[in-house]
Amino acid sequence: MLKIEHLTKTYGDKKAVDDLSLHIQAGEIFGFIGHNGAGKSTTLKSAVGILKFDAGTISVCGKSIVNDPVACKREMAYIPDNPDLYDFMSGIKYLNFVADIFGISADERKEKIQKYADVFELTDDLGQPISAYSHGMKQKLAVISAWLHSPKLIVMDEPFVGLDPKASHLLKEMMREHCDMGGAIFFSTHVLEVAEKLCDKVAIIKQGKLVKEGTMDEVKGDDSLEEVFLELEAE
Amino acid sequence: MLKVLIKKQLAEVFKSYFFDAKKNKMRSKAAIAGWFVFFAVVMVGFLGGLFSFLAFSICGSFVAAGMGWMYFLMLGGIAIVLGAFGSVFNTYSGLYLAKDNDLMLSLPIPVRYIMASRLINVYLMGTLYSATVFIPTPIVYWIVAGITASRVVCGIIMFLAISIIVMILSCLLGWVVAKVSLKLKNKSFISVIIALVFFGAYYFLYFKANGFIRELIMNAETYAERIKGAAYALFLFGRMGEGAWIPTLITFAAALAVFALVWYLMSRSFISIATDAGKTEKVKYVEKTARQKSVFGAFLGKEFGRFTKSPSYMLNCGLGVLLLPAGGVLMLIKGAQVCETIEKVFETKPGSAAAFVCAVLCMVAAMNDMAAPSVSLEGKSIWIPQSLPINPGTALRAKAALQIILTGIPMFFAAVCTALVVNASVAVKLLICVLSLSYVLFSAFCETAINLKMPVMSWTSEIAPIKQSGAVMLSLFGGWAVSLALCGIYLLVGYKLGAALYLSIWTVLFLVGSLVVLRWLDKTGSRIFANL
Repeated sequence: MLKIEHLTKTYGDKKAVDDLSLHIQAGEIFGFIGHNGAGKSTTLKSAVGILKFDAGTISVCGKSIVNDPVACKREMAYIPDNPDLYDFMSGIKYLNFVADIFGISADERKEKIQKYADVFELTDDLGQPISAYSHGMKQKLAVISAWLHSPKLIVMDEPFVGLDPKASHLLKEMMREHCDMGGAIFFSTHVLEVAEKLCDKVAIIKQGKLVKEGTMDEVKGDDSLEEVFLELEAE
Repeated sequence: MLKVLIKKQLAEVFKSYFFDAKKNKMRSKAAIAGWFVFFAVVMVGFLGGLFSFLAFSICGSFVAAGMGWMYFLMLGGIAIVLGAFGSVFNTYSGLYLAKDNDLMLSLPIPVRYIMASRLINVYLMGTLYSATVFIPTPIVYWIVAGITASRVVCGIIMFLAISIIVMILSCLLGWVVAKVSLKLKNKSFISVIIALVFFGAYYFLYFKANGFIRELIMNAETYAERIKGAAYALFLFGRMGEGAWIPTLITFAAALAVFALVWYLMSRSFISIATDAGKTEKVKYVEKTARQKSVFGAFLGKEFGRFTKSPSYMLNCGLGVLLLPAGGVLMLIKGAQVCETIEKVFETKPGSAAAFVCAVLCMVAAMNDMAAPSVSLEGKSIWIPQSLPINPGTALRAKAALQIILTGIPMFFAAVCTALVVNASVAVKLLICVLSLSYVLFSAFCETAINLKMPVMSWTSEIAPIKQSGAVMLSLFGGWAVSLALCGIYLLVGYKLGAALYLSIWTVLFLVGSLVVLRWLDKTGSRIFANL
């Protein structure tokens, strides 16, 4: 579904991502872990085609993000770490805007918006301007917009930040359901307990380099993910 | 602490002068100097030149009549009006709507420091505009009446007093707008209406100014006596420029005292206004089936939404929407007379009126520059169009389309009204309409391209991209320069071709230019937008 090969991205003299390769298969929830500034967001932004990279290749469903960005983006959705949405729109206008871009029919969007807005208890607030939303509400709206067009791949940067416990739980369920239906999820997180329980595979990045990758059992063995992570960080 | 805050504020205002966002690095010293020279040329050369001319034309009469104070009163008044003009929303947005207000208030920073650092920007902008009037004013006086130490020192103090008065007016008006905005629903349009009333009054005064100045000069002694009798403070204000120490000290102290009072009032209400979300009644969501739009339609709708939800955007970049139809009506009433006068003045250059009205139409249309900050206004939400499956060119075309629609429709009306009253052949009348509309296309595409080359993506107040960015300034003055060229070249050599051929050439230039820039937007511009 998502193939990142030998990705390298440099900011000035600093290598943010250094020769990173990852394969995310259909049906997988893939967790991406690393300290602040390790290169997680840079990798995710490169994967969704909003950041130019210096070397390597990235393909989504077999198509190159560099050569055919529009086709790749049609297959995926992205939620950034800080959902800066269009403050001047209302929640419903934003969802309709995204639905228009993906050519979702009027009936289908109505059904999906109703379904997901009800799940996240956001229906009553859809008429409000986004500028009046809390961080968590914006995050919920970003999640709904991501699920709206049934993407094959969903890329999320710290998706649980700002969500209340109930919304976090619902999002985890939606992530699992999405992958059970053949989709894939690639997300970064600092919440290791969540990653440990939720992810099928995990990758740990340190100073731009991949230090460990595999299924959860392969990565953590008999230890907890937190212990493995801290051990790798100390090295 | 205050120094750090002011530094941060100034860094934000002048960031584009020092930092190349496209290359993500500091500009070279030569480039920085170039930007400041460009800014100085525009401010000093254009506005300063205009007011130097005015000062020279009236100073002699007042000095000869022994009423230098009246000269200072008049030009000081213009400096104050010009400085305060447009700063209402600068104060409102910069002080109360800054995105980092919450962050600043959460830090152990006294409110007065936050206010001072925010207002320094308002002060600088006001002073800059006042300076274009009040730097030439005393210099011309010193040349005409002679220079003395007291005149120089008092002149400088008068300039400082004017800058403080401008600041007082800006603060008061900004505070009133903030209060009104909190009380009223549908803030954007109400704010725009308030501002338009203000602008209306400004333009009324501006258009009456010539007559007023003439009247004042003709009956200077009578007015002087009246002012001394009924408004002694104004007399003292004017006396500053003549080098009178006591009036200078009194007026300056009074200005400082009033400012201290305004400061006290504002600092008492700053937190409550800055943190108050206003009376927003919850909009009940009613589920309904939305009409499906095309990708371009969705982006165009988004651009309209952004424009109509922001008073600052509407006022600073959309005045032409009102001025063009108003100009059209004015042409229907007075146009024939104006055109006849132009033809008489340039009787050796037939067709001057047609070139002149085209230039004026383009000049007014240049006041619509909503495309110029449109890329910058994406700000931190730029990830949305970048991550969606669209050709970036579609998003850019939508930005240009907003300007084309909002300028094209009123421009068409104004051009038809103008064509009706111009005494010219049918071909020239048609060309007036076609040229005006082709200019609308050209300017919209160019301004989108300019903003792509000069983006300001990280801002805490939308005033930065809307009002203080190089892209907006270049678009506005560039549009005026093109308009002047259109008229000027005709008067120099173009008349030899005849109005029809001359206007045809400009129309073709605008249309070909539009196609070239549109192609650039679709190719290079799209690449730039995708990587902002």
